[in-house]
Amino acid sequence: MPEWGGGRTTLEMIVQELQHPVRLDESFERRVMVRVRRLHAERRSRGWVAVASRVTHRPGWAAALAASVVAVVTLGLIKSRPESAPNNGGVGTAPVQFVLVAPNARSVAVVGDFNNWGLNDSALVATNHQGVWSVTAPVPAGVHRYAFLVNGKQWVADPSAPRSTDDDFGMPSSALVVEDSTR
Amino acid sequence: MNRSSRGLAAMILAAAAFVPAHAQDPRIENRLDAPSRIAISALLDSARAQGIPVEPLMQKMYEGLAVGADGPRIVSAVRNLKVEMATVHRALGTVATADEIKAAASAVHAGVPAVELGKIKKQSGLRRSLTLPFTVLADIVSRGVPVEAGVNAIRSLVGAGAKDADINDFQRNVSGDIEKGAPPAAAAETRAKAVPAGKPESTKPEQDDH
Amino acid sequence: MESSDAELVTRVLHGEVNAYGALVSRYRDRYARYAVHMLGNREDAEEALQDAFTRAYRSLARCEEPERFGAWLFRILVNRCRTSGARRVRRGRTFVHDEAALMRASQEHPAEQTMWREEIERALGELNADQREAFLLKYVEDLGYEEMSEITGVGVSALKMRVMRACDRLRSLLREVHSA
Repeated sequence: MPEWGGGRTTLEMIVQELQHPVRLDESFERRVMVRVRRLHAERRSRGWVAVASRVTHRPGWAAALAASVVAVVTLGLIKSRPESAPNNGGVGTAPVQFVLVAPNARSVAVVGDFNNWGLNDSALVATNHQGVWSVTAPVPAGVHRYAFLVNGKQWVADPSAPRSTDDDFGMPSSALVVEDSTR
Repeated sequence: MNRSSRGLAAMILAAAAFVPAHAQDPRIENRLDAPSRIAISALLDSARAQGIPVEPLMQKMYEGLAVGADGPRIVSAVRNLKVEMATVHRALGTVATADEIKAAASAVHAGVPAVELGKIKKQSGLRRSLTLPFTVLADIVSRGVPVEAGVNAIRSLVGAGAKDADINDFQRNVSGDIEKGAPPAAAAETRAKAVPAGKPESTKPEQDDH
Repeated sequence: MESSDAELVTRVLHGEVNAYGALVSRYRDRYARYAVHMLGNREDAEEALQDAFTRAYRSLARCEEPERFGAWLFRILVNRCRTSGARRVRRGRTFVHDEAALMRASQEHPAEQTMWREEIERALGELNADQREAFLLKYVEDLGYEEMSEITGVGVSALKMRVMRACDRLRSLLREVHSA
């Protein structure tokens, strides 16, 4: 109960009105987690940049040496990221089934952003059922580019998915948007 | 060995100690030359400084490694993607999520002006994610839908409050129509009209409260 | 059984980033109210709250009492609202309250309720930021003066003075409004 003197009823009403709950849009949590996951990913790569920052520029005769020193250090700067299976059905992932009809294929794998384009990821090797190849995997929420790798050498876009327009390497790929399953 | 040489050797050894032994990803070490690694590292730094998501750039690098592209080509791809992401980052503003930026960069790559994406974002505000709409826009434009028709279709879908499932259906229908020989613009315009309107998006926030 | 704040913080610090989502879900609505009334509009409030959650994640290792994550987060939010700049009241806005309460109010006295809310928001906007902050923390968020001092870094005496002046000002601005 407010401690003020006269006008108590008015101020009580003010407080009562202001204490009504405020509900945020359902997408708020997702937007926060997108930022948080980005920070998390950047942290993992930032650790390597911190190494280079210790290399200070030296004047004079070591100036030329500094360049080679930086080169030696930065060789390890790009953080290694293991070929990884998508996180195993954790929070923020959704199971996605990838299907490719390829009756003459000997092997089909799914490779993309969600497994760092790893070629040896056993979790995304499709199984064959009479020429219909499929694999289901938990994929993190977000937008991903991916492609099928047929017979270990032929890149094929997913005919049932939106095209990815990134043709930097001359191979077709597809786009996948996964909603956050925690919402 | 004179003093200078000893100093040089000592510095190189000291510098080498900065490279943690477990850091070496065989894919990077075996297939990416040193100048390319340095160039990509610099691009990542620059992106970070500009507030651009770094993950898509690294994924682009890994994609290049997977398909066997050479170092300079990978660097070029990463650089182009960074430029596109910086462009959309400016157009969409600070409220855009990393996924929206990534999807918008694809749309820009397909030929959609970033300013048009910014208009759609401004229209939509914080009410919904535009990751899927931008992804679908990139797709239909890459299939031949003129940019203006594609932008208008997506803008009308977003403005009508169409759900993601509807936008997915829209993409499938448009691509199917085009494969059957329909003029791409006509396919996009026709299918955009058919999508059921959800709760109308409004520029006046108070209308959401009714 | 629901995980405690301390458990969730520990899991996040051990690399389970998705556990942070549970903390966001737990505190978002609770603190949205403060941000909305402090900043005067929903958009700024959402941005401030997003920033607060992001900053809290970034400096989570410095949270000395993980079991009091909520209070620590609130302090970040209060500071973020302070630096947010001028309060912008969007005229004609209504705020999304609890659906049931809103329905009841609109059914009983629809136009009056809307007008009353707007009057309150206008009056809040007339307070200076220090007074508004103190008033909201004390009477809307129902904090004790010691807690308020810990959050704001301001002494208890100064806080009491701000609350009293805020009450006087609100009373004089809204004295023509009477309860039924």
